[in-house]
Amino acid sequence: MFKALDPLLHSELRLAVMSILISVEEADFVFIRGKTGASAGNLSVQIDKLSEAGYIEVNKGFKGKRPQTVCKITQKGIKAFEGYVNAIKSYLDVDKDN
Amino acid sequence: MEEKTMSEKESLELISSMIKKTQQNLENSNGRPFLIWGYTTVFVSLLVYFVVSKTNNYHYHLLWFLIPLIGITLMMLTRKKRDKKQHVVTFLAQAILKVWTVVGIAAMLVAVGSFFANIPILGIMLLLMGMGTMITGLLIRFNLIVISGIIGMLFSALPFVVQQMEQILIFGAIFLLIMVIPGHVLNYKSRKSHV
Repeated sequence: MFKALDPLLHSELRLAVMSILISVEEADFVFIRGKTGASAGNLSVQIDKLSEAGYIEVNKGFKGKRPQTVCKITQKGIKAFEGYVNAIKSYLDVDKDN
Repeated sequence: MEEKTMSEKESLELISSMIKKTQQNLENSNGRPFLIWGYTTVFVSLLVYFVVSKTNNYHYHLLWFLIPLIGITLMMLTRKKRDKKQHVVTFLAQAILKVWTVVGIAAMLVAVGSFFANIPILGIMLLLMGMGTMITGLLIRFNLIVISGIIGMLFSALPFVVQQMEQILIFGAIFLLIMVIPGHVLNYKSRKSHV
Protein backbone atom coordinates (compact mmCIF):
# COMPACT_ATOMS: atom_id res chain seq x y z
CA MET A 1 0.00 0.00 0.00
CA PHE A 2 1.46 3.38 -1.02
CA LYS A 3 1.54 6.14 1.54
CA ALA A 4 0.30 9.43 0.09
CA LEU A 5 3.02 12.03 -0.44
CA ASP A 6 2.43 15.30 1.38
CA PRO A 7 1.73 17.72 -1.52
CA LEU A 8 3.11 20.61 0.50
CA LEU A 9 6.49 18.93 0.74
CA HIS A 10 6.49 17.34 -2.69
CA SER A 11 7.73 20.50 -4.32
CA GLU A 12 11.38 21.16 -5.10
CA LEU A 13 11.86 24.47 -3.31
CA ARG A 14 9.70 23.75 -0.27
CA LEU A 15 11.42 20.39 0.21
CA ALA A 16 14.82 22.09 -0.09
CA VAL A 17 13.84 24.65 2.56
CA MET A 18 12.64 21.90 4.90
CA SER A 19 15.83 19.88 4.32
CA ILE A 20 17.93 22.88 5.33
CA LEU A 21 15.85 23.66 8.39
CA ILE A 22 15.81 20.04 9.59
CA SER A 23 19.60 20.12 9.84
CA VAL A 24 19.97 23.39 11.78
CA GLU A 25 18.44 25.04 14.81
CA GLU A 26 17.41 28.11 12.80
CA ALA A 27 18.46 29.95 9.65
CA ASP A 28 17.64 33.27 8.07
CA PHE A 29 16.27 34.09 4.63
CA VAL A 30 19.72 35.07 3.27
CA PHE A 31 21.23 31.71 4.28
CA ILE A 32 18.33 29.69 2.82
CA ARG A 33 18.38 31.71 -0.38
CA GLY A 34 22.11 31.16 -0.74
CA LYS A 35 21.76 27.40 -0.29
CA THR A 36 18.73 26.95 -2.57
CA GLY A 37 19.69 29.49 -5.23
CA ALA A 38 16.01 30.49 -5.45
CA SER A 39 14.73 33.97 -6.31
CA ALA A 40 13.73 36.11 -3.34
CA GLY A 41 10.11 36.35 -4.50
CA ASN A 42 9.62 32.64 -5.03
CA LEU A 43 11.37 31.72 -1.80
CA SER A 44 9.24 34.19 0.13
CA VAL A 45 6.02 32.66 -1.27
CA GLN A 46 7.12 29.10 -0.44
CA ILE A 47 8.22 30.08 3.08
CA ASP A 48 4.78 31.64 3.64
CA LYS A 49 3.11 28.40 2.51
CA LEU A 50 5.21 26.31 4.91
CA SER A 51 4.55 28.77 7.69
CA GLU A 52 0.77 28.78 7.06
CA ALA A 53 0.80 24.97 7.29
CA GLY A 54 2.57 25.25 10.66
CA TYR A 55 5.64 23.39 9.37
CA ILE A 56 7.98 26.26 10.10
CA GLU A 57 8.03 29.24 12.42
CA VAL A 58 8.94 32.58 10.86
CA ASN A 59 10.16 35.52 12.91
CA LYS A 60 10.52 38.82 11.14
CA GLY A 61 12.67 41.39 12.86
CA PHE A 62 15.66 43.61 12.43
CA LYS A 63 19.34 43.00 12.84
CA GLY A 64 20.79 46.46 13.25
CA LYS A 65 19.16 48.41 10.47
CA ARG A 66 18.63 45.43 8.17
CA PRO A 67 15.38 43.47 8.15
CA GLN A 68 15.89 39.82 9.05
CA THR A 69 13.58 36.83 8.59
CA VAL A 70 14.55 33.87 10.73
CA CYS A 71 12.98 30.46 10.05
CA LYS A 72 12.84 27.48 12.36
CA ILE A 73 11.25 24.07 11.81
CA THR A 74 8.38 23.18 14.17
CA GLN A 75 7.51 19.80 15.75
CA LYS A 76 4.68 19.52 13.22
CA GLY A 77 7.19 20.21 10.45
CA ILE A 78 9.59 17.55 11.73
CA LYS A 79 6.78 14.99 11.84
CA ALA A 80 5.63 15.92 8.34
CA PHE A 81 9.18 15.68 7.03
CA GLU A 82 9.69 12.27 8.63
CA GLY A 83 6.36 11.11 7.20
CA TYR A 84 7.37 12.34 3.75
CA VAL A 85 10.73 10.55 3.86
CA ASN A 86 9.07 7.33 5.06
CA ALA A 87 6.50 7.55 2.27
CA ILE A 88 9.24 8.01 -0.32
CA LYS A 89 11.15 5.08 1.13
CA SER A 90 8.05 2.88 0.79
CA TYR A 91 7.80 3.84 -2.91
CA LEU A 92 11.47 3.09 -3.51
CA ASP A 93 11.27 -0.24 -1.65
CA VAL A 94 8.43 -1.33 -3.92
CA ASP A 95 10.50 -0.31 -6.95
CA LYS A 96 13.37 -2.41 -5.64
CA ASP A 97 11.12 -5.43 -5.09
CA ASN A 98 9.80 -5.33 -8.66
CA MET B 1 14.93 26.25 -8.07
CA GLU B 2 11.31 26.08 -9.18
CA GLU B 3 8.13 24.31 -8.25
CA LYS B 4 8.18 21.18 -10.40
CA THR B 5 7.14 17.59 -10.03
CA MET B 6 9.85 15.31 -8.80
CA SER B 7 10.26 11.57 -8.81
CA GLU B 8 10.74 9.84 -5.45
CA LYS B 9 14.42 9.31 -6.21
CA GLU B 10 14.89 12.98 -7.08
CA SER B 11 13.22 13.92 -3.81
CA LEU B 12 15.62 11.84 -1.76
CA GLU B 13 18.59 13.15 -3.72
CA LEU B 14 17.43 16.72 -3.13
CA ILE B 15 17.05 16.12 0.61
CA SER B 16 20.49 14.58 0.99
CA SER B 17 22.19 17.20 -1.18
CA MET B 18 20.59 20.10 0.76
CA ILE B 19 21.56 18.58 4.10
CA LYS B 20 25.11 18.05 2.85
CA LYS B 21 25.30 21.60 1.47
CA THR B 22 24.08 23.02 4.76
CA GLN B 23 26.58 21.06 6.81
CA GLN B 24 29.54 21.98 4.59
CA ASN B 25 29.67 25.62 5.66
CA LEU B 26 28.91 24.92 9.24
CA GLU B 27 31.58 22.42 10.14
CA ASN B 28 34.32 24.98 10.12
CA SER B 29 34.73 24.91 13.89
CA ASN B 30 36.90 27.90 14.53
CA GLY B 31 39.36 28.49 17.29
CA ARG B 32 38.50 32.16 17.73
CA PRO B 33 36.69 31.83 21.10
CA PHE B 34 39.60 29.79 22.47
CA LEU B 35 42.05 32.45 21.27
CA ILE B 36 40.00 35.33 22.69
CA TRP B 37 39.57 33.78 26.14
CA GLY B 38 43.05 32.23 26.15
CA TYR B 39 44.98 35.39 25.26
CA THR B 40 42.77 37.52 27.54
CA THR B 41 43.45 35.22 30.50
CA VAL B 42 47.19 35.09 29.80
CA PHE B 43 47.32 38.89 29.53
CA VAL B 44 45.28 39.52 32.70
CA SER B 45 47.27 36.89 34.67
CA LEU B 46 50.52 38.67 33.80
CA LEU B 47 48.96 42.04 34.62
CA VAL B 48 47.71 40.87 38.04
CA TYR B 49 51.05 39.21 38.79
CA PHE B 50 53.12 42.29 38.02
CA VAL B 51 50.78 44.85 39.61
CA VAL B 52 50.25 42.87 42.82
CA SER B 53 53.91 41.94 43.22
CA LYS B 54 55.01 45.56 42.61
CA THR B 55 52.45 47.18 44.92
CA ASN B 56 51.76 44.40 47.43
CA ASN B 57 48.19 45.69 47.32
CA TYR B 58 45.83 42.73 47.13
CA HIS B 59 42.95 44.94 46.03
CA TYR B 60 44.46 44.71 42.56
CA HIS B 61 43.13 41.16 42.40
CA LEU B 62 39.97 42.92 41.24
CA LEU B 63 41.79 43.17 37.90
CA TRP B 64 40.75 39.54 37.34
CA PHE B 65 37.32 40.89 36.44
CA LEU B 66 38.95 42.31 33.30
CA ILE B 67 38.78 38.75 31.89
CA PRO B 68 34.98 38.64 31.45
CA LEU B 69 34.94 42.32 30.49
CA ILE B 70 37.54 42.02 27.72
CA GLY B 71 36.45 38.51 26.70
CA ILE B 72 32.75 39.30 26.29
CA THR B 73 33.53 42.56 24.44
CA LEU B 74 35.86 40.81 21.98
CA MET B 75 33.37 37.97 21.48
CA MET B 76 30.61 40.44 20.67
CA LEU B 77 32.79 42.45 18.32
CA THR B 78 33.96 39.43 16.33
CA ARG B 79 30.44 37.95 16.28
CA LYS B 80 28.92 41.12 14.82
CA LYS B 81 31.43 41.11 11.99
CA ARG B 82 30.69 37.49 11.11
CA ASP B 83 26.91 37.63 11.40
CA LYS B 84 26.45 40.60 9.08
CA LYS B 85 26.22 38.35 6.04
CA GLN B 86 23.85 35.60 7.15
CA HIS B 87 22.41 34.03 10.23
CA VAL B 88 22.32 30.33 10.93
CA VAL B 89 22.44 28.46 14.23
CA THR B 90 23.31 24.78 14.39
CA PHE B 91 22.45 22.33 17.15
CA LEU B 92 26.17 21.92 17.85
CA ALA B 93 26.80 25.67 18.17
CA GLN B 94 23.77 25.91 20.44
CA ALA B 95 25.04 23.06 22.65
CA ILE B 96 28.52 24.58 22.92
CA LEU B 97 27.04 27.98 23.76
CA LYS B 98 24.96 26.43 26.55
CA VAL B 99 27.94 24.57 28.00
CA TRP B 100 30.00 27.78 28.16
CA THR B 101 27.08 29.78 29.53
CA VAL B 102 26.89 27.34 32.46
CA VAL B 103 30.69 27.38 32.90
CA GLY B 104 30.71 31.19 32.70
CA ILE B 105 27.95 31.58 35.31
CA ALA B 106 29.70 29.10 37.62
CA ALA B 107 33.00 30.98 37.20
CA MET B 108 31.37 34.33 38.03
CA LEU B 109 29.66 32.86 41.10
CA VAL B 110 32.96 31.41 42.32
CA ALA B 111 34.71 34.74 41.70
CA VAL B 112 32.07 36.63 43.71
CA GLY B 113 32.12 33.91 46.39
CA SER B 114 35.86 34.36 46.80
CA PHE B 115 35.19 37.80 48.37
CA PHE B 116 33.37 36.12 51.22
CA ALA B 117 35.27 32.90 51.71
CA ASN B 118 38.86 31.77 51.37
CA ILE B 119 38.58 29.37 48.46
CA PRO B 120 41.27 28.04 46.07
CA ILE B 121 39.84 30.13 43.26
CA LEU B 122 42.47 29.53 40.56
CA GLY B 123 42.14 25.77 41.03
CA ILE B 124 38.35 25.92 40.79
CA MET B 125 38.62 28.09 37.67
CA LEU B 126 40.96 25.57 36.06
CA LEU B 127 38.56 22.75 36.93
CA LEU B 128 35.61 24.64 35.40
CA MET B 129 37.48 25.75 32.28
CA GLY B 130 38.97 22.28 31.87
CA MET B 131 35.49 20.75 32.01
CA GLY B 132 34.11 23.25 29.48
CA THR B 133 37.09 22.68 27.19
CA MET B 134 36.83 18.89 27.38
CA ILE B 135 33.07 18.89 26.67
CA THR B 136 33.66 21.22 23.70
CA GLY B 137 36.41 18.93 22.41
CA LEU B 138 34.12 15.91 22.68
CA LEU B 139 31.28 17.74 20.91
CA ILE B 140 33.41 18.93 18.00
CA ARG B 141 35.36 15.65 18.03
CA PHE B 142 38.76 17.29 18.29
CA ASN B 143 41.14 15.30 20.47
CA LEU B 144 43.62 18.09 21.14
CA ILE B 145 40.84 20.12 22.79
CA VAL B 146 39.76 17.04 24.81
CA ILE B 147 43.34 16.56 26.05
CA SER B 148 43.61 20.29 26.81
CA GLY B 149 40.51 19.99 28.97
CA ILE B 150 42.00 17.07 30.88
CA ILE B 151 45.24 19.01 31.45
CA GLY B 152 43.19 21.95 32.75
CA MET B 153 41.35 19.71 35.19
CA LEU B 154 44.59 18.04 36.30
CA PHE B 155 46.13 21.41 37.14
CA SER B 156 43.20 22.31 39.35
CA ALA B 157 45.36 20.96 42.17
CA LEU B 158 47.67 23.93 41.56
CA PRO B 159 46.73 25.98 44.66
CA PHE B 160 47.65 23.07 46.90
CA VAL B 161 51.19 22.70 45.59
CA VAL B 162 52.37 26.17 44.53
CA GLN B 163 52.75 29.49 46.40
CA GLN B 164 50.11 32.12 45.81
CA MET B 165 51.99 34.55 43.52
CA GLU B 166 53.58 31.79 41.45
CA GLN B 167 50.16 30.24 41.04
CA ILE B 168 49.14 33.27 38.97
CA LEU B 169 52.00 32.85 36.51
CA ILE B 170 51.39 29.11 36.16
CA PHE B 171 47.67 29.79 35.75
CA GLY B 172 48.46 32.05 32.76
CA ALA B 173 50.87 29.49 31.32
CA ILE B 174 48.23 26.74 31.56
CA PHE B 175 45.76 28.87 29.62
CA LEU B 176 48.41 29.34 26.96
CA LEU B 177 48.69 25.57 26.81
CA ILE B 178 45.02 24.60 26.97
CA MET B 179 43.37 27.42 25.01
CA VAL B 180 45.79 29.50 22.93
CA ILE B 181 47.74 26.65 21.34
CA PRO B 182 44.67 24.43 20.58
CA GLY B 183 42.86 27.54 19.28
CA HIS B 184 45.62 28.17 16.75
CA VAL B 185 45.76 24.48 15.78
CA LEU B 186 41.96 24.42 15.33
CA ASN B 187 42.10 27.50 13.09
CA TYR B 188 44.96 26.05 11.08
CA LYS B 189 43.11 22.74 10.54
CA SER B 190 39.88 24.55 9.68
CA ARG B 191 41.65 26.75 7.10
CA LYS B 192 43.43 23.73 5.65
CA SER B 193 40.22 21.75 5.24
CA HIS B 194 38.56 24.65 3.38
CA VAL B 195 41.33 25.24 0.84
